[in-house]
Amino acid sequence: MKHDIGCLQAIEAFYAYLDGELDDPDSIADFEHHADHCRSCFSRIEIERALNQRIQKTAKHSSPEVLRDRVAELMKRF
Amino acid sequence: MTHVDTKAFFGAGVERHIDSMYGVALRLTRVNTDAEDLVAEAVAKAWASIDTLSDRARFRPWIFRIMHNTFVSDYRKKSIRPIEASFNDGENDDDDLASLLNEQSDDFLVWWSNPEREFFNNLLGEKLLEALDNLPEAFRTVVILVNVEGFTYDETAEVLGIAPGTVRSRMKRGRTLLQKVLWDQRPGLHEGKRP
Repeated sequence: MKHDIGCLQAIEAFYAYLDGELDDPDSIADFEHHADHCRSCFSRIEIERALNQRIQKTAKHSSPEVLRDRVAELMKRF
Repeated sequence: MTHVDTKAFFGAGVERHIDSMYGVALRLTRVNTDAEDLVAEAVAKAWASIDTLSDRARFRPWIFRIMHNTFVSDYRKKSIRPIEASFNDGENDDDDLASLLNEQSDDFLVWWSNPEREFFNNLLGEKLLEALDNLPEAFRTVVILVNVEGFTYDETAEVLGIAPGTVRSRMKRGRTLLQKVLWDQRPGLHEGKRP
């Protein structure tokens, strides 16, 4: 069931929503209903999403070969 | 399970998570060689305490917790960079976003409500990493674990030995601080200024 929630309540919920931590279907429906009808909150969510994606893309690293070799050597001794 | 099976399980788990471990270690230590040392040390410690892993499905939070504990007990003490202590570390669960926003300037709030999309599109990777690295460690760690590595709040709480509510409040504050750092880098801020 959808309830009209205000911006303050939506802001409190939106990080949990973006992080997949809002697991109650009614809370998700209320939040999405608000976001669909509030330009300001919709805009914030879009910006947060863009920032999250940039952080993910930028801060992901592959381990260097020297570390992989080192760990492989270590594992031989286990 | 035999020693061979246990070793195979452990090796596969390390192989699966080594990139992620290195990424987190790099943001914790901020130095490549220290990050490599931290991962190697964590792998050695994890193998030595493999018997403490009661649920093998929890391998990821278990080995990250060992790595974080190793960082806290060994590397942080050796760090020449001071540990930031001037920020509220988000321990208060009533540290809600509304109160965080009340602490910010009106100009920031206007920008935060609708920052220029172009700014994010053009934001250089190194500037973003610099902003992340300048977050106080308590916030930097949760942002990396949740945002970059996809840990749940519960898993992050397990890794750091804190309550899930504290993870939630640190995420809010960490993101707000990150946006403030990025706000300080916004285009046009220094235009018109002459040395």
